[in-house]
Amino acid sequence: MFDTDILLQDTQEILGAVPVTLGMALTIFVLSTIVGSIFALVEYRRVPVLRELIMAYKIVFKGVPMVIVIFLAYFGLPPAFQFLLSLLGINFNAHETPNWIILVIAVTGCIAAFQSEIIKGALNAFDTGQSDAAHSLGYTNGQLFRRILFPQVALTAIPDLTTSMMVIMKALSLGFAIEVVDIFAQSQLTAALNYYYLEAFVIAVVIYMVIAYIVTQIADRLEQALRVRT
Amino acid sequence: MDVSAMIPELLSALPLTLAITFTAMLVGFCLALVATTLRVRRIPVVSHLTDLYVSYARSVPVVLQLFVAFYGLPLLVALFGAEDFFSPTIAAMVGLSFYHGGYLSEVLRPAYLAVDRGQHDAADSLGYTFRQKIARIVGPQAVHFALPGYGNSIIYLIHNVALVMYIGAADVMATAHLIMERDYNQYQFETYLVLAVIYALMCLIAWFIVHLFELRSPMQAPEATTTAQIKNAAIASV
Repeated sequence: MFDTDILLQDTQEILGAVPVTLGMALTIFVLSTIVGSIFALVEYRRVPVLRELIMAYKIVFKGVPMVIVIFLAYFGLPPAFQFLLSLLGINFNAHETPNWIILVIAVTGCIAAFQSEIIKGALNAFDTGQSDAAHSLGYTNGQLFRRILFPQVALTAIPDLTTSMMVIMKALSLGFAIEVVDIFAQSQLTAALNYYYLEAFVIAVVIYMVIAYIVTQIADRLEQALRVRT
Repeated sequence: MDVSAMIPELLSALPLTLAITFTAMLVGFCLALVATTLRVRRIPVVSHLTDLYVSYARSVPVVLQLFVAFYGLPLLVALFGAEDFFSPTIAAMVGLSFYHGGYLSEVLRPAYLAVDRGQHDAADSLGYTFRQKIARIVGPQAVHFALPGYGNSIIYLIHNVALVMYIGAADVMATAHLIMERDYNQYQFETYLVLAVIYALMCLIAWFIVHLFELRSPMQAPEATTTAQIKNAAIASV
């Protein structure tokens, strides 16, 4: 039956995993946004061959469940690293790559496909008349990007990027399959020690919902603050 | 590695995967309809509870939802006096139904709200009841708006059925693990590649079916102007 005495003790243990999870989520968020932006830019500029390659990449990573991508990375990446490093003549045992790095790479690969979609949407929402105006005023491409394109595109993308931040948080829960400890894995470990499974999972649910609430609130504030200034 | 010997064995578990998927699709759709109605009509306390349910379904990882269903269901069932009514498969169906319902509600609600306000007013002024209005005017248009998002949600449901293994349902993933262990874990990468192909094909078929419906949709022309307003959930859901 549901036991309330254990809740406090469990909560402390599970909360201990929150900083690690957030750290990993932020890393993945930054990496996947960078990769996704490159993808989106390639598609926006219509670079011939690369565009088709990215299309194929997206179809693959959207069609295959993330657990399977993580397992494939877990079994496939270390040999691949080993091979690449041996080509470069570096003697390093890639099979000792920490699991969390593999998880970060796998989730980044999956999320990048979706991030590129978000950024492409934001780019398409950008009014091309503005870039014409900037060019006629003698802006260089770098200036155009920094002063006109980026601020607007970033603002348009904020709500969707918030969603993807939450998706990354949730995706990390799949890490328990390859022994990476995040909030969910920690709740499972805690439960396995004292057999109060439902209690630990309910705590994890509450933590996830609170984090989601906080992240959404921050994003809303940020969007409002930025919108006032422009 | 003899892949051809592995595929029939993997496919033998496919009926269970499909059964879980279709149950979650049906029950989830009904849940989503109820949730959307409650949220749109703004009934004081009920609407907030439904909001809470939707945010539970959307912000908690699906693995965790499955585990909550797995450990929570027996308690719930015991309240009604039924013992021994329980299996991982049922827990998986219930968990995924709740997930899919919440997720789909967030597709249906924007679709409902995207229907032009004037259409509601016109129907009201002609004396349509709420049910008639939904069935004859707002519903058909909302279906058109919701189709792309619905396709996405089906694809994510198929992705998430792969997680059912962790609460002990014997689906395709679990069978793959059995095969791998029997082969002394030699061909893990290959087995997962085969799994990836199977899931990708399932998603492709689902996408194709939804796409057929999209093509049949009578409102092709206004698409360019209206779909931009709707936030289709383009992002993955785990």
